[in-house]
Amino acid sequence: MENSEKRQPLDALLDGLDIETFFMCRDEAEGRSLMLALLTQLGFSDVDIVFIEHRGPGARVRGRAYLHRPGASHPFGGQCA
Amino acid sequence: MSKKVLLAPIDPVHDVGLKMINRGLKEAGHTTVLLPPDLPPEEIVEAAIKENVDCVLLSRTLGYDVAEHTARFVDIAEAAGLRAKVMLGIGGMAIRPELGAEMGFDGAFGPGTTVGQAIAFVEGRPFHELTGSGAERTRPDITEGFTYQYKHAEIERLLDKLVDQFMEWVGDKTSPAVERAKLRKQIIRTERNGGDATDLKQEYGKLCTGAAAAYYKNGALPDVVKKISDRELELLDQYCKDADKNGPAPDIRRGAKKPLVFTQYGTGCLVTDIAHVKLLESWHADGVVHFDPSWGARTEGFLEGVLSHKGDGTIITTENMAKIRQSLQKHTLFQIRAHRGLNTPETVMLAGEVGAHMTKININYGSLAGGTDPERLAVDGYAAMGYAAEYGLPFDVVTNEELAGVPAHKAFAGMLVTAHIGRRLGAKPVLQPLFCKGAEALIRGLMDDNHVDFNAAKVKALRSIVDAPIWPGAPVGFMTHTEDRVQSAMTTALHATLGASVGVEAVSIASTDEAYSGGPIIAGSRVDTLRAVMECLRFLGSAQITPTAKADEMATEIVDGIVKVLKKAVEVGYVPALYAGVFGDADDGAYPGRAGKGTVTRKA
Repeated sequence: MENSEKRQPLDALLDGLDIETFFMCRDEAEGRSLMLALLTQLGFSDVDIVFIEHRGPGARVRGRAYLHRPGASHPFGGQCA
Repeated sequence: MSKKVLLAPIDPVHDVGLKMINRGLKEAGHTTVLLPPDLPPEEIVEAAIKENVDCVLLSRTLGYDVAEHTARFVDIAEAAGLRAKVMLGIGGMAIRPELGAEMGFDGAFGPGTTVGQAIAFVEGRPFHELTGSGAERTRPDITEGFTYQYKHAEIERLLDKLVDQFMEWVGDKTSPAVERAKLRKQIIRTERNGGDATDLKQEYGKLCTGAAAAYYKNGALPDVVKKISDRELELLDQYCKDADKNGPAPDIRRGAKKPLVFTQYGTGCLVTDIAHVKLLESWHADGVVHFDPSWGARTEGFLEGVLSHKGDGTIITTENMAKIRQSLQKHTLFQIRAHRGLNTPETVMLAGEVGAHMTKININYGSLAGGTDPERLAVDGYAAMGYAAEYGLPFDVVTNEELAGVPAHKAFAGMLVTAHIGRRLGAKPVLQPLFCKGAEALIRGLMDDNHVDFNAAKVKALRSIVDAPIWPGAPVGFMTHTEDRVQSAMTTALHATLGASVGVEAVSIASTDEAYSGGPIIAGSRVDTLRAVMECLRFLGSAQITPTAKADEMATEIVDGIVKVLKKAVEVGYVPALYAGVFGDADDGAYPGRAGKGTVTRKA
């Protein structure tokens, strides 16, 4: 890619961003909403939960934000269809 | 040029990494001085001056007070005049490149640094990981050395009889796909020679349906399809060049000949596909498998151009396939699958024309679980295998009907028929059993105890029948993946490892997004699985996983079942047997497809 030194992190992102963590929470539903809220607070709009498992004190959770979806956009020069 | 290097841990105890580098430097012809752990910085600097070294390599494993210790060393080295004379490098588990640069080191190497990297630093040259097998990688032939001789005489006899009947039946048949493939071949060759193919395209368009018919009539593309611009391709080309600048990555097996590791792609967007393919190559995949959209399999005819598609599967066009082929490194195997739809012969012909290396054909799967009319796919599959022979494209015979619920012995019987037809035509089929937890395994409890026996039994059964290459897929571990990244990567890697243990020629693997249905596969998920496979193959090496005695019983049962299916098929003929449920019926979840029904005609 051109101007790699000046590139912003999200410009260098090929497709999606995953965030994995452990939330202290009551149940899976709360864990899901916490992750979705986190991703939204970070400024992402196309977000989802890839994996969540609640046990005892909380939930192991993996959230995802898509920056580019195939056929919609990609980081090589703009928007698609 | 030989250098003198002082190696010193600025760490109370840990020095294993430095010892490895010390050995590597000596083997590379350098002179070294290795100091013990827990020396004060003053003593290290004094030794460096006394030994008159060219380079000092420090290491730090423990994570506390890293900045303080390293800063103190640099201060003392500067005060003693050492800093100006020698190259200073630092590495170890506690070191981050950012910290090293901030402290004024010439080089800083974090966790995962290799001996090769350290030697390259000492020698003042860019690090090139690939002085070993990667630089010499060549494109392997999965079928090399196989005789296709049968070891099971009765199965050979039954297949001969069945295929004799079939060849007689198919000889005078044709279909729109068969005719389109001939036209497309003329179009490609006419345009390649600078000719005008307008008339040929008009003729081609008359044999198309749906989106393809509309395109050849008025140039219209479906709403979900878009032409990719020259600017996008230009940026993509630069990405590919950057990806290839260090040459091919070493193979994932650390030099072992098999199993080759294939990864499937087909995000819909050609640009994203190529971006993913380049990272697959970089993380050691041997081959990539092209997935087209499901609607493409139901549409008579192909579109044209460099196109992206909003939805799963990337559109097959001559231009799209050529673009992907051009993006690949010379050792990477490129498979374009053609196993289920209404464009099967044209896909294989096109694969041959653009320089793909393999294809995928199975009359049984495509007609019993892929939605295409059996008679139609029998005619198309036959023509496709002719092209596979003509272009020298080995093709795998995938048995995905097992996922619908068809028992392994029925799916394998069908696979052997397709493979036998292919051999008659001079092609090289590759047997593709599923390493999966399908309906048969669940219903009969075949995997209640372990996931080894039934998968190993499939390979044992096939090996006992014919000397042919085996390539479990697709992907291995199908139906065992969950949305958990660790579990998903692990189950793929374990199944790939089982493949290595039982000596298969190749495996197809998923990403850690295999079970995630909320969106497309992302690049990182591909890397995670490849890393897991690499680690497991490393773990296994030349050791073996030993199935229990049940695997032999299961293998015998599969072989006996294949014989029974083939006997029934011989009684009615191959194509009627497909309709009659001999190779899988409604109870098995197999239904003869309807796409293309009534389109087979006699040749003019």
